[in-house]
Amino acid sequence: MVGKAVEKAGLGRQLNPGADAISNTTCFDAIHLYLCYGDWRGGIVANIIVNKGRHKINGKMLVRFRLQLYRQVFVLMGILFLFIFSYIPMVGIIIAFKNYKLASGLLGFFTSEWVGFRYFTEFFTDLNFTTIVRNTFMISILKLIFTFPMPIIFAITINEVRNQKAKRIVQTVSYLPHFISWVVVSGILFSFLNQQNGLVNQILVLTGVVDAPVSFLADPKYFWPMVVISDIWKEMGWWAIIFLAAITSIDLQMYEAAVVDGASRTQRIWYITLPSIKSTIMIVMILSLGNLLGGGLGGSNFDQCYLLGNPVNNDVSEILQTYVLTNGLAQGRYSFATAIGLLQSVMSLILIYTSNYVANKLSGVGLF
Amino acid sequence: MAKLTKEDAVINTIVYIVLFIVFVAMVYPFYYCLVISFNEGIDASTGGIFLWPRKFTFVNYKMVLSNEQLIPAFFVSVARTIAGTILSLLFTGLFAYGLSYKKLMFKKTYIGIMIFSMYFSGGLVPFFILLKHIKLLNTFWVYIIPGLLSPFNAIIMMNFFREIPDSIEESVKIDGANDLVIFFKIIFPISAPVFATIALFVGVGHWNNWFDTAFFTTNRRLRTLSFLLKEIINRADLTSIMAPGMSDALRTGTYATQGYTAETIRMATMIMVVLPIVGIYPFLQRYFIKGIMIGSLKG
Repeated sequence: MVGKAVEKAGLGRQLNPGADAISNTTCFDAIHLYLCYGDWRGGIVANIIVNKGRHKINGKMLVRFRLQLYRQVFVLMGILFLFIFSYIPMVGIIIAFKNYKLASGLLGFFTSEWVGFRYFTEFFTDLNFTTIVRNTFMISILKLIFTFPMPIIFAITINEVRNQKAKRIVQTVSYLPHFISWVVVSGILFSFLNQQNGLVNQILVLTGVVDAPVSFLADPKYFWPMVVISDIWKEMGWWAIIFLAAITSIDLQMYEAAVVDGASRTQRIWYITLPSIKSTIMIVMILSLGNLLGGGLGGSNFDQCYLLGNPVNNDVSEILQTYVLTNGLAQGRYSFATAIGLLQSVMSLILIYTSNYVANKLSGVGLF
Repeated sequence: MAKLTKEDAVINTIVYIVLFIVFVAMVYPFYYCLVISFNEGIDASTGGIFLWPRKFTFVNYKMVLSNEQLIPAFFVSVARTIAGTILSLLFTGLFAYGLSYKKLMFKKTYIGIMIFSMYFSGGLVPFFILLKHIKLLNTFWVYIIPGLLSPFNAIIMMNFFREIPDSIEESVKIDGANDLVIFFKIIFPISAPVFATIALFVGVGHWNNWFDTAFFTTNRRLRTLSFLLKEIINRADLTSIMAPGMSDALRTGTYATQGYTAETIRMATMIMVVLPIVGIYPFLQRYFIKGIMIGSLKG
């Protein structure tokens, strides 16, 4: 029946080629979006995209509403979902300032007694406070310094590969780790780094780099490097896709002109490739700064610190997010945990606005 | 291309060295796990195995596949991945389809509500309290329902739907089909690539998720494969995970005669978890390559 209607409208022939064109370009956009705005920050960009399609509401509303009843029902189901799963928890933030008991139900959000900033002070005076804040910031900043440039370097390198087959194979395997969970990665790390028969220790001893096996997993001083390197391993190839996409959209005539002018390959990379992807770098930079406390691009701080942390390296692996769980939720200190969570959200919000503001001032590139 | 200069030679060498290092770094860890998982346990613990199993055996997989906890966990994982992905695609897809309509009333309000929920979130604890009081904790649905709508995926779908010519839908509407029929018979087939891409992302997310099992359930029957793997990796002794006979063997050291250790069991389980992802990976990766090629054509 539907097919007939399409035929009738004379669209049958156009349908397929048209659909192909749409699918190809938008599929790319979809991935592009995923890469760029892999979480709630997508909203910032989404806002710009979505608002293109505004429409005025006028006259005979009831009739119009009935005509689009199905669509309205689809959307309202989603809105109801958001109300329950996003907005009720948002209201729940107020328990950071209250003495909330789990038994008081959802209404307890409103009925429990106010305690002001008691839980915030409790956290600030916590013995572990400085350690936790230090760890959160240090791991995040180390990742920003060392993890952030890697996809850019990798993308530029892979763009210089002339052998298409080698290029495709390496690129394909480079983003495989992105789809593997941190649980598996932590398992691989344990088996590679353990002191008795770990692969890394075997190789180090065999090649004579060290005399005795190193206790990578138990010694706290190896924790931060381990976190940073495993983050690079897991996310480098994935984030390189976006920079590669930016590189491939550079006008080839620029390179040709540069060759005519006698520019060397290094010069072409330095004066054409890098400046051309500057705005992409800036945007990704703002996004990772906004999620600095979550662990930058991959948002991996929690998984890493929770899975790789143990009582021995607790001093360097305890961060805000793990603390919320181990000392908050797991012990039933709901108000206390909410207060810490709120603290982190506020800091993240300040970070993204500041980084966006600075980027705007410096280079004119910004998200909003 | 111009003649190879000295500079070209240097750059090419560097580039291929980097390529080789990246290739080995990405592939070898998985390969190593595979090798160890096929090796006899005690033998593996003496080290020196790099490229090929020294004492080849299936005993690790036999132990994993006959384990009375891992098998149900595998089915829970499969169930949540399939149900979660399909329902999420449907719910998010219908929401996005509704929102993509240019003349939708209150569209601005709806989009505002959606975008705001992407900026701010209540955080983990209020969310936990909500799940507790709507009785989702400790049910299978705690895996499915909170993930039904992803505003982020909805925006990707909306952008896609918006490019579908209105005339197609309108011609069908004249034929008397309602929007639900249009969604399934027109929108869904046309948008197959975007649905496939999102399905794979959502699916991988479900398969890999251990967090909700760890914090939103306590029922042993709801444990997923990823969660069990996390338990297996994080505990030196596998007492709570493995079958009683097996964990006794591991504790008392009599496993020597049975050919496996905690390490080799761990490896075999890891391979089991990774395998489905590597299996769907070729499909997933086809879309990326396509996307990147289109990107390069534009340039």
